[in-house]
Amino acid sequence: MELFSDQFNGYLWQMAQGAYVTLQLFAAGFSLALVIGVLVGIITLSKNIVIQAFWKVYSSIIMGVPSLLIIFLLYYGGSAMLSGIFGTDRSFDVTPFGAGVAALTIVYACYIAELVHGAVMNLPKGQFEACSALAIRPIAAWRHVILPQLTRLALPGLINIWMIVLKDTPLVSLAGLNDLVANAKIAAGATKEPFIFFIAASLFFIAFSALTLRLSARLETRFNRGIAEVKA
Amino acid sequence: MSALPIDLALAWDSIPQMAEGLMTTVFLTVLVLTIGLPLSILVTLARMSKSPLLAVPAALFVVFFRGAPLLILLYLVYYGFGQIEALREGPLWVIFGSAFACAVIGLTLNHVAFMVDVVRGSLSAVPAGLIEASSALGLTPRETFTYIRLPLAMRYGLAAYQNEVVMFAKGTAVVSVITVVDLTAVANELFEETYDPFTPILTAAAFYWCFVNLIRLGFNALERHLNRHNVREATVKEPAPGAALPIDGAAPAAPVPPLRRMANFGRRTAPVKAPAPALSTATPKEHAV
Repeated sequence: MELFSDQFNGYLWQMAQGAYVTLQLFAAGFSLALVIGVLVGIITLSKNIVIQAFWKVYSSIIMGVPSLLIIFLLYYGGSAMLSGIFGTDRSFDVTPFGAGVAALTIVYACYIAELVHGAVMNLPKGQFEACSALAIRPIAAWRHVILPQLTRLALPGLINIWMIVLKDTPLVSLAGLNDLVANAKIAAGATKEPFIFFIAASLFFIAFSALTLRLSARLETRFNRGIAEVKA
Repeated sequence: MSALPIDLALAWDSIPQMAEGLMTTVFLTVLVLTIGLPLSILVTLARMSKSPLLAVPAALFVVFFRGAPLLILLYLVYYGFGQIEALREGPLWVIFGSAFACAVIGLTLNHVAFMVDVVRGSLSAVPAGLIEASSALGLTPRETFTYIRLPLAMRYGLAAYQNEVVMFAKGTAVVSVITVVDLTAVANELFEETYDPFTPILTAAAFYWCFVNLIRLGFNALERHLNRHNVREATVKEPAPGAALPIDGAAPAAPVPPLRRMANFGRRTAPVKAPAPALSTATPKEHAV
């Protein structure tokens, strides 16, 4: 097939639209996972035995199962679950996009919660003690003292999760979402040029992650501006 | 949630089929891990080489196969190589014609690219003093590498390796898209036969969970074995209250007292404060969550 013919450009355009869907899915999934994950992470720091036991079991299940299965479970079983919760008299349509956002959120909120736990462990205990010595109320202490420091500690791990979520988003195409990878597959099948379209699709992911890595490096220097670098 | 109908009879009946799918998944995982480990050490050495002729291709390899999603890599190998006429006629078609072999190739490329950073991180976690000492003692660079650096790096890198293996084992679920009948494929087949959205997938999930946790247990045993000479109290001293981050829990908590045997210490000396292997923070290990 000729490069830059009308047909070729058509497929490229379709892939660009797919890339937009992929980015939307990624942004929605990651930001929801971030918010919920941080909240859950803080809540499950509680010493309450019930919360601890529940969290142990839940996180072990979610982190011990491929995210692809969770996507399938939510896509195929989502409407049954929703009508189970909200009553069977209503019917619910679960779109691949919705199922994908839900699955990414559920899986990666778990990882982010564990990341928050790790960051809190790494925070010097004196920070908490100083807060209570100064009679700073818990909410204010978290907001102004603990969370800003956690951000710095958790940032490298968060960027790892960012990358993993980015590479898990194409899995939603297997539930029928018309994203970048699905469109690349269509184009590859129709034109019999799998190399061009699949390599183009992977270059998109590589470029996007390279861009975010650069941004994250800047962010890291900014968060670390108060910290002296230790020369090994 | 009243509407989570798990059909126990169906789950029970599907166990033989699921077990077969699990065997495929396990076989695939073990095969790729076995091929991948030596290969990733070679690529890492190329990546760390001073010659740009080796380092640049290795770096490009890592960037591409690490950055591209596994799904695309599988499509690329499975659909891509089938388009090459010469390959289809040639004797290598035995390999590229089979979906299983394509899955192995795609997974290996991805796994090796991730492992390069793991291996590199653990190799550079070995304290420089040890390497200087061994060259001062007249060991050749090759001896230093095989007897000093590699064994220690294995210990330092074990936690990161465990993470990569667990992530990888879960990632193999994708191979069902190129017609390899693994655990996920079996679950999908059963779903299409029965239209029961919960039972097959949840049964498969249970199988995956057992597999992943067996890997974890295996790694814990291996870690205990590799660190059996270590002073225990160093690890017991800091029991993290509540849940520790899974990687850090397995991280080399006690710095290895380096080379007690060679230095002919009959008695246990105070644990040498080796520079803490900076693995858990410094290496860009993407899989470690």
